[in-house]
Amino acid sequence: MSEVRALNDQAKTLIEFDRLCKIFPARGDDEPVEALKDVSFDIKDGEFITVLGPSGCGKTTLLRILAGLEQFDSGDVRVDGQSVTGPGPDRAMVFQSFALMPWAKIIDNVAFGLELRGVPKAEREDRAMRLIELVGLKGFERRLPGALSGGMQQRVGLARALAVDPRILLMDEPFGALDEQTRRLLQEELLAIWEASRKTVIFITHSMEEAVLLGDRIVLMSPRPGRIVDVVDVPLARPRSTTIDTIEGSPEFAAITADLWHRLREMQLFRPSTAEAVEADAARVAS
Amino acid sequence: MSVAAATRSRGVHPPGLGPFTLGGRLGPGFLGLVIGAVLWEMLARVWDQPFFPPFSAVLMRLFELVGSGLIIGNLINSLFNLFIGFTLSAVLGVTIGVLMGAYTKVEMALDVYVYAMLTAPSLVFAPVFFAIFGANDPRPSVIGVIVLYTIFIVIVNTVAGIRNVNRPLIEMGRSYLASDRQLFFKIILPAATPLIFAGLRLGMGRAVKGMINGEMFIAIVGLGAVVTSAGKRFDAEGVLAVLLLIIVVALICVKIVQIIDVRLTSWLPATSKKRRRA
Repeated sequence: MSEVRALNDQAKTLIEFDRLCKIFPARGDDEPVEALKDVSFDIKDGEFITVLGPSGCGKTTLLRILAGLEQFDSGDVRVDGQSVTGPGPDRAMVFQSFALMPWAKIIDNVAFGLELRGVPKAEREDRAMRLIELVGLKGFERRLPGALSGGMQQRVGLARALAVDPRILLMDEPFGALDEQTRRLLQEELLAIWEASRKTVIFITHSMEEAVLLGDRIVLMSPRPGRIVDVVDVPLARPRSTTIDTIEGSPEFAAITADLWHRLREMQLFRPSTAEAVEADAARVAS
Repeated sequence: MSVAAATRSRGVHPPGLGPFTLGGRLGPGFLGLVIGAVLWEMLARVWDQPFFPPFSAVLMRLFELVGSGLIIGNLINSLFNLFIGFTLSAVLGVTIGVLMGAYTKVEMALDVYVYAMLTAPSLVFAPVFFAIFGANDPRPSVIGVIVLYTIFIVIVNTVAGIRNVNRPLIEMGRSYLASDRQLFFKIILPAATPLIFAGLRLGMGRAVKGMINGEMFIAIVGLGAVVTSAGKRFDAEGVLAVLLLIIVVALICVKIVQIIDVRLTSWLPATSKKRRRA
């Protein structure tokens, strides 16, 4: 473990969020929403970062901005020193809703990114086949997505992202729509794949266990306005893919998840705005 | 894995009971037709009206008409008009619909016309066409009427198809570096295909209507002319015989569109396909 950490400490910074702000303008009667406020954070090359927070904390917005799918209002996001202005070949996204093309065979879905980049058919199918094998879907390459279960569809989503060989994997609650057992399997496999490839991963989740199990560091976010409240180091040894059960039984794991839950709970029960409203109300009653 | 079972169960009908399973899928539909014909026959015989001939008499008249050669030539003439009119409507309709779906400004400019024309009784334009194209060759007028009947429903459905493309799919395309052109041809168009074909299916039904109405108005060509002349002779059997033929033609034409549709959109889950048919 210490070796891995030392390696990470040496690794250079790959992604920088620099006082990032994002406001969703008012719509109809709704107030404008401060989705992100002064978010500053650096991610090193090869790190596995999990982003945890209650719904509405802007974690998905943060990822979408990094993916180049969303504009921001001020601050900056840099990948390898370059400001993000749109999607790029160095980043690939895995979507919560899978986002597979229902009319295209699994192999064509996996090869889609390569197809868009003009990779010749034989070459991209060859590469797609290798990744289909890697995610355990050999034999299903000629099927349509509709014939696959949710877990298998997300394996396709993962294979599609890996197929373009990005430096950075962006994962937006990728296992959020899956049942508990499927999710466990996919967590293990994602860890194994990451341990072998050492890509930089930013993984959004609302599950504390998932955040701890997968991440080197956990970015804890809080809503209204969306901001980073803490970055928690996960002191669990790697590789973890083969020892998930032991990890989950360990007192360390229990302590971190309990602490995270404590803080998440507080965030949702006592948002500053709620507290202020209660105070203001009390003041009005008193006067 | 349960996936195999799930795929196998797709498209397989649950085991039915009794006579309805005899002809497989065709069973209930065919039985419905037989019952309809028998009811028609009995009702017409009991309620003895000169303008409500029994089914058998209409069928006989149809064979007579076909035998006299009156039907075949006119049918071919009508189908030719239908083919040209429908093809024009499909090509123009999908093109205009795509432009409206893709560009808000185009939609804002054309929206009011499309919806106005969708609800307008298109036949009122027949005399206009007649005046423009002249009485010598009625074909352009008939085709014009067919297009007016057909094109707007195709446009409206195409716009809806383009607009309703799943947002995450478009974002997926963007994040994997699709150009606008790739986004359109590889994601938006395939995703819009089911709704476009729903429009074409509805359009085909309306095209047959337009064909007959146009021909009846102009009254010198096609099946419409045959109906009109039978009507003027108070030949109820003749009118109903041609009507029967027209219905069959319409059903076949719609079926052809449906077959192409099913081939192109076989990826749709079976359940949503059933819903679309309903």
